[in-house]
Amino acid sequence: MLIEFNCNGKDVSIEAPPQTRALDLIRDQLGMTGTKEGCGRGECGACTILLDGRPVNACLLPAAKLQGCEVMTIEGVSDGSGGLHPIQESFLDQGAVQCGYCTPGMIMSARALLESNPDPTENEIEEALAGNICRCTGYGMIIRAVLQAAKVLRGERKR
Amino acid sequence: MTDYIFPSTIEEALQARVAAPEGRFIGGGTDLMVLMAADMLSPDPLIDISRIPELRGIRETEEGLEIGAATPLAELASDPRLPSVLVQGAASVGSLQIRNLATVGGNICNASPCGDTITPLIVLEGELVLISPAGRREVAVAEFFTGPKKTVLNQDELLAGIKIPRKNLSGGSSFKKIGQRNGQIISQVNVAVWVKVKAGRKVGEIRAAAGSVGPVPIPLLKAAATLKGSGMTPGIIADAARLASIEISPISDVRATADYRRSVIGTLLTDALAEAWAEAEGNN
Ligand SMILES: Cc1cc2nc3c(=O)[nH]c(=O)nc-3n(C[C@H](O)[C@H](O)[C@H](O)COP(=O)(O)OP(=O)(O)OC[C@H]3O[C@@H](n4cnc5c(N)ncnc54)[C@H](O)[C@@H]3O)c2cc1C
Ligand code: FES
Ligand code: FES
Repeated sequence: MLIEFNCNGKDVSIEAPPQTRALDLIRDQLGMTGTKEGCGRGECGACTILLDGRPVNACLLPAAKLQGCEVMTIEGVSDGSGGLHPIQESFLDQGAVQCGYCTPGMIMSARALLESNPDPTENEIEEALAGNICRCTGYGMIIRAVLQAAKVLRGERKR
Repeated sequence: MTDYIFPSTIEEALQARVAAPEGRFIGGGTDLMVLMAADMLSPDPLIDISRIPELRGIRETEEGLEIGAATPLAELASDPRLPSVLVQGAASVGSLQIRNLATVGGNICNASPCGDTITPLIVLEGELVLISPAGRREVAVAEFFTGPKKTVLNQDELLAGIKIPRKNLSGGSSFKKIGQRNGQIISQVNVAVWVKVKAGRKVGEIRAAAGSVGPVPIPLLKAAATLKGSGMTPGIIADAARLASIEISPISDVRATADYRRSVIGTLLTDALAEAWAEAEGNN
């Protein structure tokens, strides 16, 4: 089946078996390996992408469901000018990345949260990231990173 | 190779299903994709009903509210028109990533005894609108389930929507569940309560139901009967909690033992009653 969608601002038109997982289409066919597979069954959030702005698990998503949608993966988070997005900067700054396997998914969930809620409480951040599991950091640094990114995006601090 | 289609109307979806006995409706796919990944199922074609406009969204009607079967749970979790018990039940499913995909119709048709929108819909006296090439019928949510993963839905039948009568949109309600951790959990036990206050701060009407404690979600008839007409005092609540632990029929499985379920249901019911009662008094 021909699947047509917009991926990180670029139109994509690609032939794929319709029941392929969106995760495999993105990683194997489009060669964008930033989106990770952890559990493959919707439990860890490592595969989180934004579908029409909303975070979803790419491992549970038939590729056919990308049809006509706007998709953002971790590769599309920074604006392409070479610099990192403030969320990415804040993750580095706060040491919120250890092995890094959960990081792309965390950043996608954080990005969706900050789009709809520019000034979240710690509790709201915890809720928005509840579908993303991290085995390394203990979450404290991740939450602080999202708080910092929110401040940067609101223009209250430089970085 | 398997096929995947997006019908644009209910009629097209039904035609596709009749034409392909091996096919399957897919809403969000959060249950189906897990089964397919484990090679436990290989439907062909997948008939994706999630883009049929008539099946999406929450509408006010003369009789009350009608929820399209393909409405994502994330939408139910944030709609202030819905009673608390259903908002809380929907919000408790999986993670935000899951709720953005998962549909309420899929939660019902999947027919797991632990489906977290099912007990809320039972206490709200939800009616399911089922459509097949033979016509349309309505079935009460409480009568839809016949066993674990079994329902009265015929093979060629589509769940189109869920109706909630207006009289049950007022009153107070609450949903409580317990699982192995907070967030991303399948219920070990869940409880839904809906209650209405009458004159003299007495319980006018009340319904309660529990999930994951029997082959199908179970109305807690004895517990509710005890509470009806009472002043919702601690003594009566304790009686109701004890009755609830007797009238359920839990089994031991990978998630919890039967004994654990029997002992925890009273606590969940007590918490849900307190919250629902406070809301009912506030709304009165
Ligand atoms: C990680 C994870 C966590 C989860 N946590 C929870 C939880 O906490 N609580 C909970 O209740 N569930 C949970 N689930 C299960 C699942 O997400 C829900 O049951 C969800 O609501 C299913 O909806 P869906 O649209 O994704 O269903 P689908 O997978 O699309 O469909 C499920 C079944 O229903 C049928 N179907 C779907 N829509 C219709 C219709 N309109 N008419 C007729 N048949 C239809 C399909 O053919 C299929 O058999 C979880 C799942 C995962 C993967
Ligand atoms: S890989 Fe998708 S949720 Fe774990
Ligand atoms: S940094 Fe290793 S899993 Fe999160």
